Order: sequence, then structure tokens, then C-alpha cells
Amino acid sequence: MSNNEIATDDGIDGATTTDTASNTLDPSGDPLVDHDISVEGSDSRSASSGKTVIESRNLDVYYDDLQAIDDVSMAIPARQVTAMIGPSGCGKSTFLRCINRMNDLVDSARVEGELRFDGQDVYEQDIDPVALRRRIGMVFQHPNPFPKSIYDNVAYGLRVQGRDGEVDLDQQVEESLRRAALWDEVKDQLDKSALDLSGGQQQRLCIARAIAVDPDVILMDEPASALDPIATSKIEDLIEELAEEFTVVIVTHNMQQAARISDRTAVFLTGGELVEYDDTGTIFENPEHQRVEDYITGKFG
Amino acid sequence: MATEDESVDQLRQASGTRLRELKGQLFEAALLGATLVGIVSLLILFGYIAFDTFQPLTASAQWYLLYFGTLVAPTAAFTWYARRDPAVRAVNAKAFAVVFGGLAVSLVTYVVADSVSPYDVLIYLLFGAIPPLLVGVYGRTTDERTYTGPAIPVAAVLGLGVAALLYGLVRPVVGIAARWIAYFGITTLPVAGIIGFVVARRWSPRHGVMATAAVLLSALLVAGGLLGVGTDPSFWVVLFSTFVVPVGYVVGSTVGTNSEGRIGVLGPFVLIGGVLAGATLERQLAIKGLESYLTPTLLLESWHGRVASEAGVYPQLVGSIVVVGFMAILAFPIGISAAVYLEEYAPKSGWGSRFATLLEVNISNLAGVPSVVYGLLGLALFRRTLGFGTGIVVSAAGTLGLLILPIVVVSAQEAIRAVPDSLREASYGMGASRWQTLRNVVFPEAVPSILTGTILALARAIGETAPLVMIAVATTTYTPPEGLFSSATALPLQIYAARSSALPEFRHGVVPAAAIVLLALMLVMNATAVIVRNRYERDT
Repeated sequence: MSNNEIATDDGIDGATTTDTASNTLDPSGDPLVDHDISVEGSDSRSASSGKTVIESRNLDVYYDDLQAIDDVSMAIPARQVTAMIGPSGCGKSTFLRCINRMNDLVDSARVEGELRFDGQDVYEQDIDPVALRRRIGMVFQHPNPFPKSIYDNVAYGLRVQGRDGEVDLDQQVEESLRRAALWDEVKDQLDKSALDLSGGQQQRLCIARAIAVDPDVILMDEPASALDPIATSKIEDLIEELAEEFTVVIVTHNMQQAARISDRTAVFLTGGELVEYDDTGTIFENPEHQRVEDYITGKFG
Repeated sequence: MATEDESVDQLRQASGTRLRELKGQLFEAALLGATLVGIVSLLILFGYIAFDTFQPLTASAQWYLLYFGTLVAPTAAFTWYARRDPAVRAVNAKAFAVVFGGLAVSLVTYVVADSVSPYDVLIYLLFGAIPPLLVGVYGRTTDERTYTGPAIPVAAVLGLGVAALLYGLVRPVVGIAARWIAYFGITTLPVAGIIGFVVARRWSPRHGVMATAAVLLSALLVAGGLLGVGTDPSFWVVLFSTFVVPVGYVVGSTVGTNSEGRIGVLGPFVLIGGVLAGATLERQLAIKGLESYLTPTLLLESWHGRVASEAGVYPQLVGSIVVVGFMAILAFPIGISAAVYLEEYAPKSGWGSRFATLLEVNISNLAGVPSVVYGLLGLALFRRTLGFGTGIVVSAAGTLGLLILPIVVVSAQEAIRAVPDSLREASYGMGASRWQTLRNVVFPEAVPSILTGTILALARAIGETAPLVMIAVATTTYTPPEGLFSSATALPLQIYAARSSALPEFRHGVVPAAAIVLLALMLVMNATAVIVRNRYERDT
């Protein structure tokens, strides 16, 4: 895999079908960006390197009697973008929410198997989910800034973690907004309500809020699916930059998006089953399973 | 062409259509009628009461002309003028809120403190407020803040407990001071502190200290001046601190900073000036005014069973405020806590959730239990089981508290449920604990609707009669309650008692006038609820 755009023979053939398929799947799909399914990667982060940060072993998740994740084992490498794609209800969001134990908030959810973060099983008895979430940040599908000022939104994490005394809060807020490519747009209105921002700005604010506490991992649950194409491309650029410092795990409905920004891709299909997990190039150009190829080329899903 | 004509004719062939239209119109008229029945009958009732109260036919035409000239025309003209410019309108609304809010706060503070003794209020206020303040200040100076948050309410409760223990020792010492000094402590000190805090946040700490000093000094000056001319300054200290100072601050800062809308601050003063000018001219010109039953005597004197013009409901008015105020202190924390538990903590699956659902269904049903039954419960609980005296404030407040508890729980639950889950998730995702999420995200969002619901519950409680009759609160008393364990009184009870008077001027004058007072109290509460809700809805 290289930083050149690779469009294999299969890719070009499949591209047209995929387009229509993913546009119906995701109406906010990005028409501004070249429609070739192509794989970008950067030199600095090769898909094969990077130590494992998150690893699941035989993970099962149930909501009451309904199985949402079926025996998933996968290892997510550090400082790369790992995408999870699959049809609705395939369990990819559930898997994402297992990583920082957001599923604890759902009373009916039950998790079996192992999920290791830095080698530590996060579902062990004495693991504090609050402490875990301080190291694994999250960005949600719909921008959900707090109805507070822009400044207070970014400072929120540091404040609730009691770290606002240790760091220079003003500087940390500015730094986070810069890294989220939002500083220039909001630097004169930090005390304005975050709800006055546009949808794309709100989502970048949510990213700034997540990185302000300097987590190890950022989980993103379809972060661009509620945004317009221009805002989407800004978020995508941002995600690629973030991967230089953070481990990014992203769930997306938009296969082109996965192809554009991720280093590795996991394909979940119905029943919470992880069908294939490999370098993004391999998944999109030469998938091992027929079902994955059908899904990617739009014959299924 | 022919086919077109035909199709047009088809459109016009409308005997069936007309019938259908008529049916539709009839249905709409029926709906409108249903809507109007309730409103019109209420209007007739209110008109009837108001007619009896104010006796509008007794006034001369000059009187109407006079007040139209001094009050109605200027106020209407100013309101019309203010509504055209949003900035002026906003300032006008703010000025009205602070003027009449400040007036209400100062009157309520004075009459309540006056009836239960200002010294007692001062003691409990000092012991209840100083420990949490100290903890708060300590929390600002230290980095170890894990325990200061929870320590603040604990310190307040401990302080109140200590106050109750030491009451016998402290009361004589505090009692040495003049009454106005106690009022100074109750009103001027907190107001000066709040003004100082607000100014310090808005400008600089130095300005804050200066503002605090200015408030304290000017209140002392007012008191000193009145003492010089030999008047008891108690009431004036209260009025100055909780009315003049906030109004002065809001008017001053608005005029200073908001050049577009500053003219709007005149609104309430046009209204008040109109009333004063009308009253002065009425006396000067000896114009025959209304022979209304709603007089200062009614509001400020005790009951008189034989002469209608001397009958007053002051003790009942104060009694209602004291009972409902104490009820609020009892019921709101419990109700809101229950709502928070049910919405945020109760299990959402398994047997726990079934239990929670059972609780919720029962609470909703309790909201509909007739108030007489709550009276029975209050009688059994407070009189028989706890052995409290007959018809005392604690029993009355407790009974009414039980009555409104389900309403508070349900409305607070709805308010909390309305906070979007995405905000909770965002907060949890940042590594906030459940308590931090509640405090920083859920509460700030839910508080306006919680307030609205609780104020409406208060308005319901203030009009309740049956449960108070059941726990044998005296219907006619001649003094306001002096404390939590003295006899309660309430305005609706006096109305209930007076309606059986043999004298027609009571049945057709004093009773409706007292009813108007009660309705006005409720209206003020409901209006407050609406204002609170609208204000916060605009902000977010």
C-alpha cells in the first residue's frame, strides 16, 4: 500500500455500482470528492505496523436475548484509522461502544468474552468505566455539544476529570480547537453558545472536546453522516491528521469514506459477525469472502 | 373542448360536495364551541366575582376619566411604543420583572419575618449560610476538591442543627439588637453579597467590594435617617435592600450599557406613576371613586366578623404564604430527588425495572387522589401518629406537601426526560461520572421546566381547602402563624368560613374580594412559571 491512489481493475469496475449503492445507503454521501474507490494511506503509518491497542477475543454482546455481536476477535493497531463498515444493525456501533464501555449505560446489554485495552481486560470487575472513558474519547453520530459556551464545551472534560488546575486551561482549549481545525472560525466568540455553530462546526467542536483531554483512542460513531458534503470532507481531513497522534476507530455507513481515510477495515455483516478484517486496500480491492465483495460492490446490504 | 367542459362540470356537480362541506363546517363549529364553553364560563365567573369586589357602578364618570388619563392611556401608549423595538421591549420586560419581583420579594420577606420573628430568621439564616459559605471559600483556595462539593449541603444542615441546639443560648443575645438590625441581617447582608458577587464577575473584584460597601452603607444611612426622625426603619430597610437596590442595579447597568433599549426601563414607572398620580388627584379633586371591597384594610387588617369594611385577611394571607413556603421546602427536595432516581438511576431492565414502573404508575395515580383523602392521611399521620397539635403549620404544610408530591415528581420526571440522551452520552463519553453528568448537563437543562412544574404545584397547593379542613386548621384566626408549631391559617379557609355569614355585604363583598386576592396570588405564581419557561427557552 502506498500513498499513491490505487485504482485496481476490480476497483474501477466496482466503483459505479458502489456509488449508487452507498448513495442510497447514505444520502449525505460526498459527491464533491472523486468517486473512484481508491485507497489512500500515508507513508508514516503503514497498515502492517503499529502495536495493538485494543484487542477483542471471542467477544459476544447480547441485548436481553438478542445477540448483537457474535464471537468477534480483532486487534486494533495504534495510531491508525480503523474503519468498521457493514449494513444497519450489524453490530458495528455496538462493538465500538464496547470499547469504552458505553454499553454499560444500557441496562439490558450483556458482554461476554474479552476486550483488552493496553493488554488490560476492560470488563474485569475492578475496572472503572469512568477512568476508561477518560483515555478513550468518543465522537457521536449527531453533533451533541453541550448547551454551554464554546470554551466550556472544550474545557468540560478537563474540568470533570479535575485536571483544570494542572494544565493551562486557556492554552489547552486553544490547542484543541486548533487541532480540530476550528480555532480560526471561533477564536473571537469563545464565550458564545456552542449551539449557534453550524452542524459541521459543532461536530469539529465535539472532536476538539474529545481530544482536549488527550485520550489514547478516539472512537467515532458515523461522525459525518449528519453533515453536508463540505463539512464531511473537513471532518475526513481532520481524521487523517488525528491518526498521527491518536488511535482512531470509526464506524461508517459510507464505504467510500472508509476507503478514503482508513488504514484497516473491518466488515461486519448481519448477526454481529465480523466477516473480514484486513488492510483497507485488501478489503476494497481483493476481499477474501464473496459476501464482503458483494457488500462492497453493492450487491448486498 | 367538449371533454374539458364535461370535466369542469364534473367538478361543479356539487350537491354531495356541498353537503360534505357543510358537515365539515358544522364539525369545526362544534369544536370551537367546545373550546369556548370552558373559557366563557370561567370569564363569566371571574366577571361576577370582580363585579362584586370592585363595585364598578359606584364610581363617578370623572373617576374613570381620571384613571384613563393618568394610568391607562400612558401605560398603553408606552407599551405600544416599547413593543415596536425589540431592544426596548426586552428592557421593558426586564424592568417590569425586577420592579414587581423585587416588590413581591420584599413584601413577602417582611411579612413572613415579621410574623415568625426576625430574630429567629436571622439566627437560622446565619447558622445555615455561614458554614457552607466557608466551605465554598475553602474549596476555591484548595486543589483538593473531592469533598468540598458534598460538604456544602452537609455544612448547611449541620449549621441549622447547631442553630436549633444553641437557640436557647443565642436567642437572648441576638434579641438585644433592635428589630431593624435583624432585618438588616436578613435582607441587606445577602443582597449586598449577591450584588458584590455579580459586579465582581461582570467588572472586577475591586468594583465588587465597592458595590457591597455602597449597599451596606446606604442601607445604614436610610436606617439612620429614619431613626433620626423617630420612625422604626425595619420595613424600610427591607424595602430598600430587596427592592430599591436590585431595581437600582438593573436600571443603572441597563441605562449605562444598553443605549438602544434604555428607554424601556421607564415602563414600570409609568404604571406606578399613573396609579400614584391618579390617587393624588382623586383625593385633591374629591372625585367619587370605587366603593371597592378590595381595600388596604382587607389586605392589612385582621378579620372582623360584623363590619365588612373592617374585615381583613392579613393573617390568612401570611398564613398561606408561610404554609406553602414551608411545604415547598419539604416537598420539592423529596419530589425532585424521587424524579431524579426514577429517571436517571432506576434500572431499565429486569425485575428492578418492573418495580420502578410499578412505582411510576402509582405516583401518577396518586396525583389524582382527591384532596379530602390527603386530608385524612394528614390527620392520621400528623395528629394521631406523630401527636402534633391541632391545625399547626407543620401539619398543614406536611399534608399539602404530600398532596403535591406526586405532581412535583411527575413534572420533574418529564423535565428530566426531556433532556436529550445525546447530551448524557457526550458527558459520559468525556469520562464524567453519573453525578457530574447530572450536575453539569442534566440539571442545567432540566431546571427551567422543573421550576415551571413546581411553581404550578405551589399554585395548586395555595388554593387547597379540603385537606386543611380535615386536619382542623382554624377557619378564622386573628393573628398570623408565629412559627412552625403555631396555629396555621390559610386564605381559602377564611373564604370558606365567610361565605356562611348572615350579612350580605360579606357574602357579596368580602368573600369575592378575598377570592380575588387568592386568584391574584395564583396568577402571580403562574405568570412567574410562564416567564421562567419562556426566558430559558429563548436562551437555549
